[in-house]
Amino acid sequence: MFLYDLKKEQACRIEQLPTIPLLNSLGLREGMNVSIKSHQPLGGPIVIQIGRRSVAVAKDIAEEISVEKIEKNIS
Amino acid sequence: MDCHGVEEEKIEVGRDELKILLMGNPNVGKSVFFSKLTGREVMSSNYSGTTVSYTHGKMQYSDKQATLIDVPGTYSLKATSPAEEVAVDFLQDGEVDVVVCVLDATNLERNLNFALQVKEFGLPVVFALNLIDVAQNQGVSIDVDRLEEELERPVIPTVAIRNVGMKELLEEVWKASADQTQFNEQVSVTEDERWQAVGRIVEEVQEVEHRHPTFLEKLGDLAVKPVTGIPIACLVLLIALVIVVGGGKGLRAVFFLPFVDNIVVPFFRSIVSIFITEGLLFNVLVGEYGALVKGIEWPFALVLPYVFLFYIVLSFLEDSGYLPRVAVLLDSTLRKLGIQGGNIVPLIMGYGCAIPAILGTRANTSPKERLVTSSLVVLAVPCSAQAGAFVALLGDHSILALVLVYLISLAGLLLAGVILNKVIPGKSDPMLLEIPHLLLPDREALFKKIWLRTKSFMIEAEMPILLGVGFAALLVEAGLLESINSYLAPLTTGWLGLPTEATMGLMLGIIRRELAVLPLLELDLSTLQIVVGSVVALFYIPCISALGVLIKEFGVKIAITIGFVTTFIAIFAGGLINQVVSFIGILL
Ligand SMILES: Nc1nc2c(ncn2[C@@H]2O[C@H](COP(=O)(O)OP(=O)(O)OP(=O)(O)O)[C@@H](O)[C@H]2O)c(=O)[nH]1
Ligand SMILES: [Mg+2]
Repeated sequence: MFLYDLKKEQACRIEQLPTIPLLNSLGLREGMNVSIKSHQPLGGPIVIQIGRRSVAVAKDIAEEISVEKIEKNIS
Repeated sequence: MDCHGVEEEKIEVGRDELKILLMGNPNVGKSVFFSKLTGREVMSSNYSGTTVSYTHGKMQYSDKQATLIDVPGTYSLKATSPAEEVAVDFLQDGEVDVVVCVLDATNLERNLNFALQVKEFGLPVVFALNLIDVAQNQGVSIDVDRLEEELERPVIPTVAIRNVGMKELLEEVWKASADQTQFNEQVSVTEDERWQAVGRIVEEVQEVEHRHPTFLEKLGDLAVKPVTGIPIACLVLLIALVIVVGGGKGLRAVFFLPFVDNIVVPFFRSIVSIFITEGLLFNVLVGEYGALVKGIEWPFALVLPYVFLFYIVLSFLEDSGYLPRVAVLLDSTLRKLGIQGGNIVPLIMGYGCAIPAILGTRANTSPKERLVTSSLVVLAVPCSAQAGAFVALLGDHSILALVLVYLISLAGLLLAGVILNKVIPGKSDPMLLEIPHLLLPDREALFKKIWLRTKSFMIEAEMPILLGVGFAALLVEAGLLESINSYLAPLTTGWLGLPTEATMGLMLGIIRRELAVLPLLELDLSTLQIVVGSVVALFYIPCISALGVLIKEFGVKIAITIGFVTTFIAIFAGGLINQVVSFIGILL
């Protein structure tokens, strides 16, 4: 399962992600819980919530982040 | 200073002066600290990448002097963009006495990771835990004493925009500089170990109380969802247009035009009349088209109202944190132009002035995106001064013509982008953008910013316009204009279908973009001619200062190419419209 495939409002735990230094610096790491806030149409980015922050992630990157679905509200 | 750009100057530090470096993640308030502590106003906005090069200023505390340096924000100490490199270089050159590391209290985890990296450098560090007010609103409370223990360095809670904690911060900076303790920290920690340490500290010092989302938080979320975000964006655009175009027309008619025409210009005329009463010099200065008549009426009565109102809107949008949300909505569109959504910020800034827009692209990591965005700005984005001129020329004639010119500019932007994407080699980076909290802009900060920008317009526009108009008046008086006009007639009259006098705009337009439009006001033109003249002015060569910045950022070759290509496109597009419409006219 990849981050880009998740539905809106779905929460997940990051399992594996590509080695892009900026991803780490923005707080996206293995084991972190994130949830999907919005999906842009036409191959646009998704917006995810991580902690109290929102980060926009391009489709190309989000398709490479593998995740595991979790119930919402476990933080 | 060029327009509103930040010039890099060499830093000179006196012998007993301290050198203090402001560091931190992007958008944590470093530039606000800089402005408050040094009294030197620099730009701050609610998105990352506001500061793109370094600035320095003097500050004083009791009787001691120091030089404070503001640098672009960095997510980590491994620089990934030209802007970030500037910051990391300062830390590494080793001459810094104290580092003030600004932390965002609303995002402790990521900021602590950065804090630990800075600490590992072994320099004396003082931490400012900023944005405490926002954190409180979100129900986040941080135990500062515990955090201080964990970091083993002073931690001062601050609200930079309201000057809260500044004095305490300075005190600690001075203490840290006097403290001779050697921090031989230079320990190397792996990334994982650092994140573990961060997790442990956050657990210990931070408490989050669950709150219902505030109105601004809800609005911020709605603005990034396509279904609600697109209507919100349209509404924002509409409000912006009403304020700038509608408000500008009103302000101009009620205040600026009468004030300049009835008070300022007669004042200059009577002063000049004391010394000279007629002749060439009199006409050049205060004749109908004299430097002190049109050179004042144009920038102050016609253009200033729009520039002023545009900067009100832009500054509000910048400080609210709304712009990165537009970037998300437009990413898929902009990617067809070879640039990612984040470039909407410099593009929008270009509607104010091209220079900060070109400089702002430094926050980009990909050279291709820098070049595409900068080229689009100078080609197809009319700056606010030119917009004021367009409204003066087109708005009074027919609003439809004004709308048409803006639609042409948009079409030109898209078309040029698609072509540039194909022509310029390289890649654009996929979007990875932090969305800031939506905040209600601080009133004082907003006023300062608007004033700063308006003032710099008045200073930087007035001189070139005075000289340009004076030069033009001189040409007319000396009878030289006639021969230039007839020399260029095949172009102006033949191809573009304008009166021969339109050469004036083409000549003055090299100096400033609004000067390519304003001379047309004095001619008696048909709607077609007005539209053609405006389209030529729109795509025409970037102003002299913008060309200067292009040279500095991309080199002479690229700058000259841009200058030639834009001029060619301008003449070509204007003429095409003229020829096609005239042809259809004949057929009908
Ligand atoms: N509410 C609140 N807003 C703040 C505070 N400090 C800064 N801001 C706002 O936060 C935004 C970011 O400030 P900047 O000074 O531009 O941040 P920066 O760290 O210089 O950002 P970059 O130059 O992009 O790295 C601005 O809109 C400020 O007005 C604070 O303590 N409270
Ligand atoms: Mg800054």
